[in-house]
Amino acid sequence: MSGIGESDQIARAAGGDRAAQAALVNQNMPIVFRVAYRMLQDRAEAEDVTQETFLRAWKQLPDWQPKAKFSTWACTVALNLCRDRLRKKKPVLMDELPERVDTALRPEEALASRQGIEGIAEKIAALPERQREALTLCALEGMSNIEAAAAMDVGVRALESLLARARRSLRASLSAQIEGD
Amino acid sequence: MTVTGMTHERLLELIATYGAEPMGWPEDERDAARAFLSADPGAYSQALIEARAIDGVLSLEEVPEPSAALTQSILAAAPSAPRSRTGLLAGLAAMLFPQGLRWPAGAALASLAMGLVGGYAYASTGIGYDQADSAYYAAFGFDSGEDWISLE
Repeated sequence: MSGIGESDQIARAAGGDRAAQAALVNQNMPIVFRVAYRMLQDRAEAEDVTQETFLRAWKQLPDWQPKAKFSTWACTVALNLCRDRLRKKKPVLMDELPERVDTALRPEEALASRQGIEGIAEKIAALPERQREALTLCALEGMSNIEAAAAMDVGVRALESLLARARRSLRASLSAQIEGD
Repeated sequence: MTVTGMTHERLLELIATYGAEPMGWPEDERDAARAFLSADPGAYSQALIEARAIDGVLSLEEVPEPSAALTQSILAAAPSAPRSRTGLLAGLAAMLFPQGLRWPAGAALASLAMGLVGGYAYASTGIGYDQADSAYYAAFGFDSGEDWISLE
């Protein structure tokens, strides 16, 4: 929901309307949590990031400008918080690591074999940070390319590059697993 | 804005980037890409098979649900409704006039009516008022210029 409906809801939430606040949380909290979880792979940390995102939202609401959907704004905040946490854990920039080489992939085998698709969460978690963000927002959360690019603060072409590389990396990872079995 | 300049390379790029489902492709390129695909499906079958495999794998990804306490703690930190001046005044009025503001308003109206009626009745007698004024001025040594002094 966006436009007048969401603006009205946000205005009411900012004014202390409990029903509007609950609706805003129920509509947007799940995606924020899922994005944070996929980035951090830790439920407690993902919940902390989700809570912090909404704390910032409560402060921001009185001055809210409807330039973007609330969910896009919330995902941007959540991604930034996740990046901060990941940097504290891993100072190495994962995006600088080379992509895996796409060995002879048989994608239909990946689907046919349960073994080939086991540990998909770990494979996504192993992707470089920015590729993981792009894949999470577009492929897993169904955001449009424009929304996802806005949430990641990149251009659409850069987002597409990250997405394509993420899918190539996943294919390579699955292929390696199939060949190893 | 709808992009119509679809090319073979761009369609392959869309499939490799966004997957096999046209609903996942950018909205402004979707129709043109679909038309391009329909014109020569064989040219994209391998790309679609590979993309579908990744789409299928991604669809199996599971994420745990957040705890119920998370929603509660987020809502507990939400801003409360500000107490307006109107609210404070209304509270004060309710404390002073528990029966509502109709009684004080009625009392004020009754007082006004009584004052008007009483004032008119007294003014219509005339005499007492003038004598009182003259006595007052005389007591302080002023010449009242009234006849009633000579009557004494």
